[in-house]
Amino acid sequence: MDLLPSKEQEEIVASAAAFLATALPTQRTRQLISEASNVDAKAWLAAADLGWFALGLPSDLGGVGCGLADEVLLFREIGRSLAGGPFLATTLAARVAAYGGNSQLCSEISLGGRVGLGVLGPESTLDPGGVVGTLHVVDGDDTELILVATHERAALFTQADLGELVALECIDPTTRLARATTAGAAPVVAVAADVDPVALRGTALVAAELTGIAEATAVLAAEHAKNRIQFGRPIGVNQAVKHPCADMAVRAELALAQTTVAALALDEGRTDAELQCLNALVVAADAAERNAAGTVQVLGGMGFTFEHDTNLYVKRAFLLAQLLGPVRPLLARLVLLPGPQ
Amino acid sequence: MELAFSAEDTAFRDEVRTWLAEHAPRERRPKGGPEMRAFDLAWQRQQFEAGWAGIAWPVEFGGRGLPLTQQLIWYEEYAKLGMKAIDTRFVGLSHAGPTLIARASQEQQANHLPPILRGDVVWCQGFSEPEAGSDLASLRTRAELDGDELVITGQKIWTSYAHLADWQELLVRTDPELPRHKGITWVICDMQSPGIEVRPIHTMDNGADFCEVFYDEVRIPVTNVVGGMNNGWSVAMSTLSFERGTAFTIDQVQLSSTVERLIELARDRALLGDDEIAYALARARADVAALRSLTYLGISRNLRSSEPGPEGSMLKLQWADLYKRIMRLAVEILGPGSLAVDPEGGDIWSELFLLSYGISIGGGTSEIQRNIIAERVLGLPR
Repeated sequence: MDLLPSKEQEEIVASAAAFLATALPTQRTRQLISEASNVDAKAWLAAADLGWFALGLPSDLGGVGCGLADEVLLFREIGRSLAGGPFLATTLAARVAAYGGNSQLCSEISLGGRVGLGVLGPESTLDPGGVVGTLHVVDGDDTELILVATHERAALFTQADLGELVALECIDPTTRLARATTAGAAPVVAVAADVDPVALRGTALVAAELTGIAEATAVLAAEHAKNRIQFGRPIGVNQAVKHPCADMAVRAELALAQTTVAALALDEGRTDAELQCLNALVVAADAAERNAAGTVQVLGGMGFTFEHDTNLYVKRAFLLAQLLGPVRPLLARLVLLPGPQ
Repeated sequence: MELAFSAEDTAFRDEVRTWLAEHAPRERRPKGGPEMRAFDLAWQRQQFEAGWAGIAWPVEFGGRGLPLTQQLIWYEEYAKLGMKAIDTRFVGLSHAGPTLIARASQEQQANHLPPILRGDVVWCQGFSEPEAGSDLASLRTRAELDGDELVITGQKIWTSYAHLADWQELLVRTDPELPRHKGITWVICDMQSPGIEVRPIHTMDNGADFCEVFYDEVRIPVTNVVGGMNNGWSVAMSTLSFERGTAFTIDQVQLSSTVERLIELARDRALLGDDEIAYALARARADVAALRSLTYLGISRNLRSSEPGPEGSMLKLQWADLYKRIMRLAVEILGPGSLAVDPEGGDIWSELFLLSYGISIGGGTSEIQRNIIAERVLGLPR
């Protein structure tokens, strides 16, 4: 039992953090808000070159051969960085292609072919025949393929088959949103969850991004509490400010610990892997949302401005928590699963 | 990164599980008094004789000197017995004992450590005072040097099991002229000494394990001072890092079992269809899982570096918040069934619900834990 990264894993983290800081700093993410695409094409290809989209894919399927725990380390950095783009859907889509038997497509995706994410609405369904109903399409406005995943199966659809996309303005300005309604679209390739638990892996990866946000915002709040002087003293001397900062740190640690355990539980084939992954999403979503909200409050007026990054964390946390469907049905499923191992 | 335990750890777990299944007491623990003390000590003696006493204690002090992961495993398996985590043995095994290991003289160690492991004695703690709660360093119980004795006069409060204890780890003020933290001494107090009066305190959960202790010119040999005169603050602080994040394992595993039992209970009563209860149980399940994961993360950090991480205060704080929330949920699920204290069947949810009010106070209030996290981990100004 050792939940800390090994030397090699620490290198994954350091290189990911360095790449994001150089190629996709927040300044660049903000520039992309007003451009046609929210993805920096050069940076995207560079990320593909680094093996990001095939990191957790077994080497015999053309991947890097690392575990979900390694992918979690990467996605934590992505969350922290606020980098925009369909990192999650593309990573999961490579698996759908690989486990669905389309190695050519898997290779195209791994090499930098972006895939958007389709979020099922309450009346929409995904079954072996395909997808029916209304979808929210996230970062799929200019991608050829759209991934749709539930805890039963995952499938890739061509954007054209899903019908016309109606562009919407996303609450998170660094993300592109659209709506599509289909009377029935057949998948290009699909995989059942018992072959590869694509959505469950997605759950752990979203938890990792949310953890990164919880950590980043906890640091922002604590630094501001140390440096902002009012009444002649740093505001952090006041327990009304100090205690929320402590709570943020606790929530970030809990999210980190649980997300790590979830990823390892799936990597090691434990019987409670599904429960641990859902636990991670619940804990990390709560941590990210409350830490981001707490940071706005600690930063005061500055925290409410668009200029400060805090609002981007608030919005991203809100978006991520809904990517795999609303939290309430997930809680209803969580409580019915068998207990921890 | 790995979640699975090593082959040695797994073999150790099997051994612990087998032994506990065969030897754990089957009779119910007496609710108080000398019978409870005798029960706890007999159980300790049984563990000692089988080689399970002091799993993480160094070998030279009669312990087994085993790695932290195996201490964790012992606690995890022990927790499944459903026995109380903090009984009359707690201060000796987990507080005074480790302090003596860290700071006492060889003679003091030889006199006091073996009886703790053997289950011969009960220790209690004498830290808090009526005017020194969270602000422990303002304690006023005086000790005057008279020849080779300290003469102690004052009062301690919130001392669990003082009425059943043989020894006390006692903090006294030996030099009122020195700055607050400097004039304190950590001394081994014989609870049978003339001049000591113990009065039990009736608590809101109907417990009577808490006591006030009064000292009227109690004479303690100077040889009972641990770590040197006026060094008591640093001696007291050295205790805190001993168990390095495993101290709450039993409570935490038991809280996880509590949530599982509540889910069963809610299912039996067809309450899982009630969205609010289902969601609250799901969140509780996720939160206790994260608490356990944080314990594992803390132990992982400790295996790499001897510096204690921030987990200690974080675990205590989060455990207390969760405990309260979960016990509140329990009485909601039970409905009118929670009105009877100690109903048939042995489940004592109502008492645990009442006990939960004290959880965020004892062992350092949640407010103090938040100060510690903010100041020592985040570096916020005092």
